[in-house]
Amino acid sequence: MIKRAIKTSAAILFAASMITGVSAQTVPESDDPIIIVQNNWTSQLVLSNVVGKVLEGMGYTVEYKPSDSQLQFTAIANGDMHFQIEAWEGSMKSAYEKGLKEGMVDAGTHDAVTREEWWVPSYVAEKCPGLPDWKALDKCASIFATAETKPKGRFVGPPADWGKNYAERVEALKMNFVAINVGQAATLWAELQSAYDRKEPIVLFNWTPNFIEAKFKGMFIDFPDPDGDKCATDKSWGMNPDMVNDCGAPKKAWLKKAAWKGLAKQFPAAWGVMQKINFSNAQIAAASVMVDVDGLSPEEAAEKWISENAGLIASWKK
Amino acid sequence: MSDITLHNNSSLAQKYSVVLQFAAVIAFGVLLANLWQGASRWPAEWVIPLKLWLTEFFNWLGKEAGIGDYKFRDLTRAIAWFLKQPLTWTEYLLYRGVRSWGMPPLPWVAIVVGIGIVGHWIGGWRLALFSAACFLYLAIFGLWKDSMRTLSIVLVSVPVAAIIGLFLGIWVTRSKRAASIITPMFDLMQATPHMAYLVPIVVLFGFGQVPAMMATVIFAMPPMARCTILGLQTVPSDIIESGAMSGCTPRQLLWKVEIPSAHQTLMLGVNQVIMQTLAMVVIASLVGASGLGQKLLFSLQQLRLGAAVEQGLAIVLIAVVLDRLSQALAHRQPQHMEVKQTWARRHRHILAFITVLVVSYALAKYSSAWAILPKKMTITLGRDMDYALRWFSKEAYPYISPVRDFITVEMLIPLRNFFLWLPWPVVLGTVMLAGWRLGGASVAGLTGYLVAMIIITGFWVPAMLTVYLVFSSVIICVLIGVPIGIWSARNDRVARFVMGACDTLQTFPSFIYLIPVIMLFKVGDLSNILAILAYASVPAVRYTYLGLIRVPPVINEAALTNGCTPRQKLWKVELPVALPEIMLGINQTIMMALAMTAITALIGSRDLGQEIYRALPTADTGRGLLAGLSIAAIGIIADRLISAWAKKRKEALGVE
Amino acid sequence: MTTDIQIKCRNVWKVFGPTPKAFMQRHNNNPSAQNLSDEGYIGAVQDVSFDVHAGEILIIMGLSGSGKSTIIRCITRLNDPTSGEIELEGEDLLAASPEELVELRRHKMGMVFQNFGLLPHRSVLSNVAFPLEVQGMSVKDREKRAREMIDLVGLGGREEYFPRELSGGQQQRVGIARSLAVEPDVWFLDEPFSALDPLIRAEMQDEFLRLQKMLKKTIVFITHDFEEATRLADRIGIMKDGRMVQMGTPEELILHPADDYVAAFAQNAPRDRIVSAKAIMEPAGDGQKSQPENSVPANAKIGTIAAQIIGADTAVPVVDDEGIIVGQISRQIMSDALFGTDAP
Repeated sequence: MIKRAIKTSAAILFAASMITGVSAQTVPESDDPIIIVQNNWTSQLVLSNVVGKVLEGMGYTVEYKPSDSQLQFTAIANGDMHFQIEAWEGSMKSAYEKGLKEGMVDAGTHDAVTREEWWVPSYVAEKCPGLPDWKALDKCASIFATAETKPKGRFVGPPADWGKNYAERVEALKMNFVAINVGQAATLWAELQSAYDRKEPIVLFNWTPNFIEAKFKGMFIDFPDPDGDKCATDKSWGMNPDMVNDCGAPKKAWLKKAAWKGLAKQFPAAWGVMQKINFSNAQIAAASVMVDVDGLSPEEAAEKWISENAGLIASWKK
Repeated sequence: MSDITLHNNSSLAQKYSVVLQFAAVIAFGVLLANLWQGASRWPAEWVIPLKLWLTEFFNWLGKEAGIGDYKFRDLTRAIAWFLKQPLTWTEYLLYRGVRSWGMPPLPWVAIVVGIGIVGHWIGGWRLALFSAACFLYLAIFGLWKDSMRTLSIVLVSVPVAAIIGLFLGIWVTRSKRAASIITPMFDLMQATPHMAYLVPIVVLFGFGQVPAMMATVIFAMPPMARCTILGLQTVPSDIIESGAMSGCTPRQLLWKVEIPSAHQTLMLGVNQVIMQTLAMVVIASLVGASGLGQKLLFSLQQLRLGAAVEQGLAIVLIAVVLDRLSQALAHRQPQHMEVKQTWARRHRHILAFITVLVVSYALAKYSSAWAILPKKMTITLGRDMDYALRWFSKEAYPYISPVRDFITVEMLIPLRNFFLWLPWPVVLGTVMLAGWRLGGASVAGLTGYLVAMIIITGFWVPAMLTVYLVFSSVIICVLIGVPIGIWSARNDRVARFVMGACDTLQTFPSFIYLIPVIMLFKVGDLSNILAILAYASVPAVRYTYLGLIRVPPVINEAALTNGCTPRQKLWKVELPVALPEIMLGINQTIMMALAMTAITALIGSRDLGQEIYRALPTADTGRGLLAGLSIAAIGIIADRLISAWAKKRKEALGVE
Repeated sequence: MTTDIQIKCRNVWKVFGPTPKAFMQRHNNNPSAQNLSDEGYIGAVQDVSFDVHAGEILIIMGLSGSGKSTIIRCITRLNDPTSGEIELEGEDLLAASPEELVELRRHKMGMVFQNFGLLPHRSVLSNVAFPLEVQGMSVKDREKRAREMIDLVGLGGREEYFPRELSGGQQQRVGIARSLAVEPDVWFLDEPFSALDPLIRAEMQDEFLRLQKMLKKTIVFITHDFEEATRLADRIGIMKDGRMVQMGTPEELILHPADDYVAAFAQNAPRDRIVSAKAIMEPAGDGQKSQPENSVPANAKIGTIAAQIIGADTAVPVVDDEGIIVGQISRQIMSDALFGTDAP
């Protein structure tokens, strides 16, 4: 039903663009705005601004729409929004795949690899020898204890619905930890900041690339590799023969782009650029640093980034 | 003599029987829980999957529902389109400009001076300077564009909400049936956390500026409707009758007589709409409103609390300016013009504004700093505030930490376990018995029904966690708020300061309180409670203060002539007389604490607030709405019980 | 007194309660006091019948809760009576549709209210022009007419003022001007001067009489002040507990009160200014004339002739307009009339 609605609306839009006499060769092909999704973390905001400004440079009208990280893919499938620059495997995989089923288009994968895992500040290593191995962490669990978790250590985990089964992992690996869930990322950072200032041991959920690595020194904990789907599906696999989840997260996860399928017809030139856009870890981190460390606004950071990477941008437009 | 003792005996027996009744209900519940597992936890297979049905219904409504070729979705899109039109214009005017016409947006100088001119027109020089100064803050702290984004939503939402509210209010006063549907709906809406409305809106309208505006309108409209109802019902009958006798048709009577006569109350409604709209700024940004709210959340995300405070302050200042302007407008009395005024003098405000407009556009052409202040000319204290907070959290932590641990381990965790242990028949029975004792069968029936709904829709555990958090917070709120209220009632200076602080605490976006609380108290129940406290203790303070200063002077004088010491007077005379009012304050505190649980969900908890917050990103309408309604149910239960008590007490005291 | 009947009320009832119409029908449109109290109904107006003649000032007097305000609201249909008949100029008022009612109010009725009922957001001029505005009269015409009315009530020069800028007396003048703007046939005044202080009240009463002399409207006037009633009325109807206790000229009420309730009011009334010689004289003479200096006119209020009669040794003859003796008044009759028969 919806698919048909999208099809017809896309067809109508396409037809309209033909009638108004805008040929596919001149850019912009349509005066309609290209709607770029914005999320609430730094790198995404800068990079979406970069994309927007590049497209504006080509003559397109660009609008930004803030959106939630899960619902956005349905909105893109419906054509309410058109382009998402950062889709993370770790936290968005299922929503992304759902979006694809609803008609969204995979616009390619970045070179950047992502990782989401338990993380400790580097000063913790002094008190807890053997890091980043998870067994070493488990041995000094008591230094992470608080009054309510004593004698177990306290792991500050992500919001409960981010699809990370940390409580299950603690159980499967028989770790001396209690996983508590925060409500949102800012809470994680508030915990980290205050502990960091006090040089207090803390172990919490973190991911890369983000601005944290620019502000805080630390390391991810190494857990057993999941070995594809085996850890999640095969109980006998891994060190606990009776449970799944006895492993860590993949160390190299993908970062993808997502697009509305009508783009190819309505804005062919823009679509070409979007497919070619490709960021590396270093580029993404650099973008975050401009905002989170240098204090620029995301718009300003985008302009600076564009001026510093003119060659790269020219290669996208080819 | 014997009569009196007899009476005393019987009242003692009565008290005794109340205790016995409660004891019996509790004992029965505990026994039942011991005999039958299902009494301590409602069996999962008995849960009515209302949650799923609702979610599916809204998904169907959002995607497939429709008549023939016309989908419900088309209707929502049409509404969205309709709302978008005025928004486009305010955006053009305030910060976008119309590029194709070569029209730049209004320069900041024009808006700052313009708001001053409006202030002068409505309320004279003081208001003019105050308004202009507040808007100047927006410019020099580099928040101009975001402020204008927020303002453009406000400028559209307020009239839309006011007009819808006005018509709904009129409808309620004209039709008994409308009254019987709409009034309870408003009660329910008021008790439901606003975040819960966002979920169905996202499903039906998607993300973005317009859906955010719709959420704002839905939320800000009930006070307007209430004020319309109140205003129309309090138009003096003489005026209505004189209108009728002047030969008005019913329509003329409404528009030419009743509405203009109710103008003051209606303006009060508009004022409320403005305040509610600004209270929604941050929450609305969760569904895609850009502007100050979005920037504030973003700042919090990056732990830039100082920046968030500046952005929050901008929201507060816009609110305060619009509040003062609309209040001044509401209280303005019509006055005849001196006949011999020149045309220019009569139109001096509009002339002044045109002059400012022309001059500022000319200046903006000459230098863009007059159009929008460049970043290097703006200031921010954000970083300093951040360092101050970090310094404080580092220095204070060693002292705070043991207190935190003690309260958490020795008090909160046992209390939480107790609430989680409570078998539902005990809760259901106690609530119904209390309802019956205080307000009779109707209160018992309603409260019992609401508890039952929570049980059978499967929200028991989050609901009990919510009750635990709110219960703990309210106790602390009372312990802190009531003494401050008493102190304020004793001392005018303190009162002025405290009431000012109360206003600020309430208009300040509550999200900001979360970060410092986490830095000092870590993620845990105590942090939740403290964040709730910052917001919800206000009514406890305010109503205590009001209750005490409203104690009739005769009573106070009588107490003094009876030889009471000040302490005796407070405890034996004033507090008992003010108690009903104080209880209403506690009632409000409970309501606000419940609303705040949706926001403290960002810290991390497993209560109903978390259910709502979690439902938002996944557009799980059933989960979000039902969790919201469960919070409303808890609020309504508390409200009915306390109101019934306060009513009894007031009657006994013979006040009001 | 003319016999041209302008308003006719017959067996008017206004009953408040759960289902008033059914209640009335159950009791054959004539429930007893017992019926009312048994079934929890309140009879604000009970079985009231009277006529209002063209050009007369009929004053309905009663204390609060007597039903006087309700009856005037039944006639104007601001409230609908529960049963009974009301005719205005021979037309059945209760059968009028809402549209006809609006027309009637626009052209035939004017009303003045106790608390003035002025629209606070409109100037004096706009308030007075309001009834004309809702009829759709052009701005020019209605303002011209409104200015005339404002001049008539002596508020010229205050046209642009707002109600809250005027004193109570001035506000009521605006109310009067507004009610007269449509040139109504019937003029209703609901305690128009009760909210004013006594000095202003007296002034406004004079103003009212002055206007009536010019305009000769048919007037229904409500008051709780018996003195005001006697001062202004052609006829007075006294209401108590929803019923019309007695209706007659002030003189009739004072001299022949129907019951103790009316008598209690009459007791304190200024008899000397109300009662005329004709009303207290004993029969005398048989058609002969009398010397003017030795007699009193039949229409004279007794206050004006008391001194003459009390100073005379014998009964003084009373003469009509032609000087023919129609009766006589003795010193004893005069003192009874002035102080009441049971005076010491």
